[in-house]
Amino acid sequence: MGTPILEMKSITKTFPGVKALDNVTFSVATDEIHCLVGENGAGKSTLMKVLSGVYPHGTYEGDILFEGQVQQYRGIADSEKAGIAIIYQELALIPEMTVYENIFLGHEIKRGFLVDWNETIRRADEMLKKVKLSVNPAAKVKDLGVGKQQLIEIAKALSKNVKLLILDEPTAALNEDDSDNLLSLLRDLKHQGVTSIMISHKLKEVISIADTVTVLRDGQTVCTLDAHKGEVSEPVLIKYMVGREIENIYPKRDHKRSDEVALEVRTGMRIARPLGDVLKDVSFNVKKGEIVGFAGLMGSGRTELALSIFGNPTGFQVHGDLLINGEEKHFARPEQAIDAGLAYVTEDRKAKGLILIQDVKENITLANLQEIARRGVVDGNAEVKVANEYRVNLNIKTPSVEQKVGNLSGGNQQKVSLGKWLFVKPDVLILDEPTRGIDVGAKFEIYTLMNGLVQQGMSIIMISSELPEVLGMSDRVYVVSAGRITGELPIEEATQEKIMHLATS
Amino acid sequence: MAVSTDTGSKKSSTGLMGELGKRFRSNMQTYTIILALVAIWIFFAILTGGACLQPQNVSNLFRQMTVTSFLAIGMVFVIVTGNIDLSVGKLAGFVSVVVAYFQANIWYNLIPNQPYVAAVLSIIIGLGVGVLFGVMQGYMISFLQVPSFIVTLAGMFILTGLILLVTQGKTIPANQAGFDLIAQGYLPPLVGWIIAAIVVVILFWNMTRSRQRKRQHGFELPSIALDLATTIFYSLLVIAYVWVVNQYKGVQVPVLLLAVAAVIMSYIANNTRFGRYAYAIGGNREAARLSGINIRRSIFLIFILMGLLAGIAGIVLASYVGYGTIAAGQGYELDAIASAILGGTSTLGGVGTVFGALIGSLIMTSLTTGLQMLNVQPAWQYLVKGIVLVLAVYADVAFKKNR
Ligand SMILES: Nc1ncnc2c1ncn2[C@@H]1O[C@H](COP(=O)(O)OP(=O)(O)OP(=O)(O)O)[C@@H](O)[C@H]1O
Ligand SMILES: [Mg+2]
Repeated sequence: MGTPILEMKSITKTFPGVKALDNVTFSVATDEIHCLVGENGAGKSTLMKVLSGVYPHGTYEGDILFEGQVQQYRGIADSEKAGIAIIYQELALIPEMTVYENIFLGHEIKRGFLVDWNETIRRADEMLKKVKLSVNPAAKVKDLGVGKQQLIEIAKALSKNVKLLILDEPTAALNEDDSDNLLSLLRDLKHQGVTSIMISHKLKEVISIADTVTVLRDGQTVCTLDAHKGEVSEPVLIKYMVGREIENIYPKRDHKRSDEVALEVRTGMRIARPLGDVLKDVSFNVKKGEIVGFAGLMGSGRTELALSIFGNPTGFQVHGDLLINGEEKHFARPEQAIDAGLAYVTEDRKAKGLILIQDVKENITLANLQEIARRGVVDGNAEVKVANEYRVNLNIKTPSVEQKVGNLSGGNQQKVSLGKWLFVKPDVLILDEPTRGIDVGAKFEIYTLMNGLVQQGMSIIMISSELPEVLGMSDRVYVVSAGRITGELPIEEATQEKIMHLATS
Repeated sequence: MAVSTDTGSKKSSTGLMGELGKRFRSNMQTYTIILALVAIWIFFAILTGGACLQPQNVSNLFRQMTVTSFLAIGMVFVIVTGNIDLSVGKLAGFVSVVVAYFQANIWYNLIPNQPYVAAVLSIIIGLGVGVLFGVMQGYMISFLQVPSFIVTLAGMFILTGLILLVTQGKTIPANQAGFDLIAQGYLPPLVGWIIAAIVVVILFWNMTRSRQRKRQHGFELPSIALDLATTIFYSLLVIAYVWVVNQYKGVQVPVLLLAVAAVIMSYIANNTRFGRYAYAIGGNREAARLSGINIRRSIFLIFILMGLLAGIAGIVLASYVGYGTIAAGQGYELDAIASAILGGTSTLGGVGTVFGALIGSLIMTSLTTGLQMLNVQPAWQYLVKGIVLVLAVYADVAFKKNR
């Protein structure tokens, strides 16, 4: 490997009550793809925010050397000028704007005082070619899928003449095709002289793409591994990340067969929407103590399906019968669904799951305040107690339950979201992409927890775009494609190929 | 206030100063605004040669802040849920003219010799008008989904018209015996001291009970020294206040009413499901909806509550000026909004405290009365208020960024 393009020396960053980075040393060679892995809350995002000037010089200790020069960024504009671009864990495009407006947002091409739109569109086209994306630059971003949006983010970075590209969990919300696409783009960029740092919890992906891997744990560098010397493999990464070995990430459980139906949708549920039906002719059931996987591509309608049984907050017309424990139910609001024993852990924890400006305990108790309240008055002590229980059980990394959820790392936020719905103590738990952004160790813990819950008679509907997860955890799999259920497979018959075939049919 | 009952954290800096520092950092905003208030008082004390701190002036200052404060503590809830209410000033004004109208034209004829009965009836009618208006606006906002900005802007116009209709452009007296006590009454000094004693006992009782509960739950207790220090501090504040106002005429009835209302509202905000839901809705509406919160119902109730408080403000206003006039309540909604925001309520929703709004209101009133004492023209009073508002919010933003 060549000379380092970046060296970060003895970086220490503290937040009130948390030492997020403790003397971290991190070095990236020119023209490599360097992956950064580690448990939730290990400090990966923080390290990258230090690098890109989100946390300006003076708010951390240590030195940053970029291309051999000491850097002292006062803000993100400075690091961009130096040739560093960061793409955050959550996308930062403006949905109502066009592709070309987004790409040149903040560094518009001007002629005199005015923006030169013709030149902008031409250049945007050029950038889109570079990322191999064939969309109309005049299309609005909100009309494009997440995969394409991710590529536009990269196009935006490239338009700034980036030398070092940082991607924080870029594939967390992408399906397999889009992920592959993105990874191969990173490889191309490498050959064109763009160095990349990528954070990811998907170890397979890390192994396939990384030249070098650095592992962080508890704010410290554990090791840096060279993929070309064969130092990188899944068990090795897990061991360094978690500090112990995990043999089977999908823990075993006895597949108990119960015939008692906990939830059933019959007579073909349909959601009518002005632009055409979202769901057509959907019927399925979930038995007591069963984990039912819902596989399919992103955007196939699984989230809409879940919401339509969970009190239908989107307000579209839903036709069809819903039975819970054999009783017919009609929910007008999520409130009623919760009362009937349902819980829904959303796939979009930031926008729909959590209140980021409130603390951990308030978030955990929100959906079931009546349990810790008497005559409308909340018992603050009971609340702390409950929250601490879930903090311990789910191993949520936070200095206290009074920490604002917005200050937690992505994966720990996900755990809070999960804890919130477990506290509702539902009969049927709907999990929508439950392990998105969660590290391997925590995944294992969550799977173990799920097993415990179904053992106690809870039923779980698990919507997941990760096939290994669906195959590893479900008792039965439904495959959804374009708003229809295209197949039902008992776990013994389910294979990756069969599911993919049904999902694209 | 924030309960620090964490069982799992490492012991950081211990000792009284350490804990005080921690408490300071977590309530930075509240303390900043209190510091600003103290600075303003010192400023005026120097310029007026101490005159503004004389018992009479202090007493009047607190009495003057009551009307907008009633509006401000309701406004906190409205803004916290991501709404706004532009009609409250005029609603208070309307209530005041209605109350005056009944006194001057109706009770006078119906029950001529029973001023106290008349006063009670006036109060009931005033509250009723406030609540009714709150119900109507709340219904449109929550169930018909018309934005609160529009509904209350329209409400403001309508109320302006209604005030003109009721008053016919004239001033209506509202100064029957009994009714004037609401805003102009004072408690005898001894009663003031008894109230102070009761408050102090409650403060200490509260402290011990809270510690007891925490011990029962097996939580780590906050240091007794810190708890004692805070409780003693608040007790001294109450005692000092009573001591000062007793040197003039005694504890002011409207201030006592405001204190009671503020304590109730603060309790609702911090300790009830209703309050929690308000903050949740403002913090993330979509998450609140999916958590099973009935958003419409919550917002409906909040506007009714706001109406009730505007009703109270209107009654106090009528009693305070002794008249119902066409200009009644003019601009009060803006003072109320400014007070809430000065006190740390976020215009983005989800954040704000009743206590902060009271301090905000006190700052606004202090500026007005202080500048008046200095014989500064009204034009400059507005300029100063505007500048202080922007500066305060800027300081807050800057503080947050640097943390
Ligand atoms: N603004 C903040 N205030 C307080 N603590 C913070 C803040 N940002 C991050 N932290 C803490 O710093 C630690 C590291 O967080 P960071 O987001 O870097 O983790 P991460 O490695 O990216 O995790 P994940 O894989 O879950 O995204 C966590 O314990 C987190 O709670
Ligand atoms: Mg992260």
